[in-house]
Amino acid sequence: MTFTTRFLMACAAIGAATGVLLIPANFAAFSVSATVPLAYAPMLGLWLIGPVVALAVLRRPGSAVLTMFVAGVISTPTPAGPSAIVTCLMVGVALELGFLVTRYRIWRPWLFQLTALVFTALYALSAYAAFNIATMSVPVQVIFFALMFASQVAFTALGLVVARRLIATGVARGIAPARRVVATEG
Amino acid sequence: MMARAPRNPVGLGAEPDLNGSVLDLRTYNPLVKVLGPIAAMVVAIGSRDLLTPALFAALALALLLVGGRLAVRTLGGLLLGVTTLVAVMTVSFGIWTDPAQVDHTHALLRLGPLTLWSGALETGLATGLRVAAVVLLALLSGLTTHGADLVRSMIAQLRVPYRIGYAGLAALRFVPRFAQELDTIRSAHRVRGLSGGRGPVAGVRRYAGYAIPLLAGGIRHADRVSLSMESRGFGAYPSRTERRHIPFRLRDGVLVVLLLAAAPLVPLLVHHLTGGTP
Repeated sequence: MTFTTRFLMACAAIGAATGVLLIPANFAAFSVSATVPLAYAPMLGLWLIGPVVALAVLRRPGSAVLTMFVAGVISTPTPAGPSAIVTCLMVGVALELGFLVTRYRIWRPWLFQLTALVFTALYALSAYAAFNIATMSVPVQVIFFALMFASQVAFTALGLVVARRLIATGVARGIAPARRVVATEG
Repeated sequence: MMARAPRNPVGLGAEPDLNGSVLDLRTYNPLVKVLGPIAAMVVAIGSRDLLTPALFAALALALLLVGGRLAVRTLGGLLLGVTTLVAVMTVSFGIWTDPAQVDHTHALLRLGPLTLWSGALETGLATGLRVAAVVLLALLSGLTTHGADLVRSMIAQLRVPYRIGYAGLAALRFVPRFAQELDTIRSAHRVRGLSGGRGPVAGVRRYAGYAIPLLAGGIRHADRVSLSMESRGFGAYPSRTERRHIPFRLRDGVLVVLLLAAAPLVPLLVHHLTGGTP
């Protein structure tokens, strides 16, 4: 598959913005996770905005992965270092999966939420091990995961709002596949 | 390109000289420093005792001290940050620990309904050391690698298509542009009287109002950049020559073997030292 340069650079622009957002997020996550792990859970959604916006605006295979690759490159000057690229790529790939399975034909909000939900569930498992959450009491565990899923739903919805407004500005015209053609065919 | 002060370790500062001494971590291949410690990170996250993450943290810290060539201020911040991190996490995660699991240990402190158990502090210390080990292993690359060099070595060694890699390099140039663009948008909003009032809520709303024009401006800029790149023949050939080469040398092989070997050897050493009882 070949990507047009225009598509690549659009991903770079969205990715650069995401990266700029993730630099303070990384620092905050780093210090928050050290003091109040409960407050770390709601920050999860920050990593979802970039790929959600990219997918919803550009509507092409690979938008989430490319955008998050760029965001990772940008957010290297953080406590995570260049391994931020690995983290970001994992988020990008995870968000691409739901659309890959539906062969990039469905762009409804529920698919964004469902894909993000699968990612959050996978992430929750790894956080469970890293923070040794099994040692916390049950109510704390419940709140931790509830906050995580609430953050995912809220930030995915926010990403979709941003995407809708961006589409209204017309910047995606010529990058995203034309939607009128599909309507007349069907 | 003008040589800039090496104070800024990553991001938009000047890339480091790659022909330095073997004892300089900055001369190593970025991929080795990014991907090499991952095995050790996984082992450190999976551990539950105190010694394993402490040894990984010590190994990473030793590598940084010997080869990091860090500025005094960075080094001081690093040492202070890691110590504070471990101390704060020991107490905070100690408080979050379920008392039912540790109430057979000593009670150190009673504050009303809260009791601080020594077992809980130990759990907190283990968590703090685990996070410190992972952060220090990540900083092996974080403090010694330039983002652009990492992209270049991904193109050279991982065979990432150069057009995708160049999207990353171009994005590094987009960031200062975003700052300029933000200034323009703020002035434009102000001149039209879109202040939205005072207070934190209005502030958040104001910044949310910058997001859409900023992103739209960024994508429009990206369109122009892509046109100008293509008009100069970008992407016309399957490969391209690079001005800056990121080599993979003997030293990189040695470092990757060392880092990969540490992942199984450290738990073995711990097992040996503690005689099998955690």
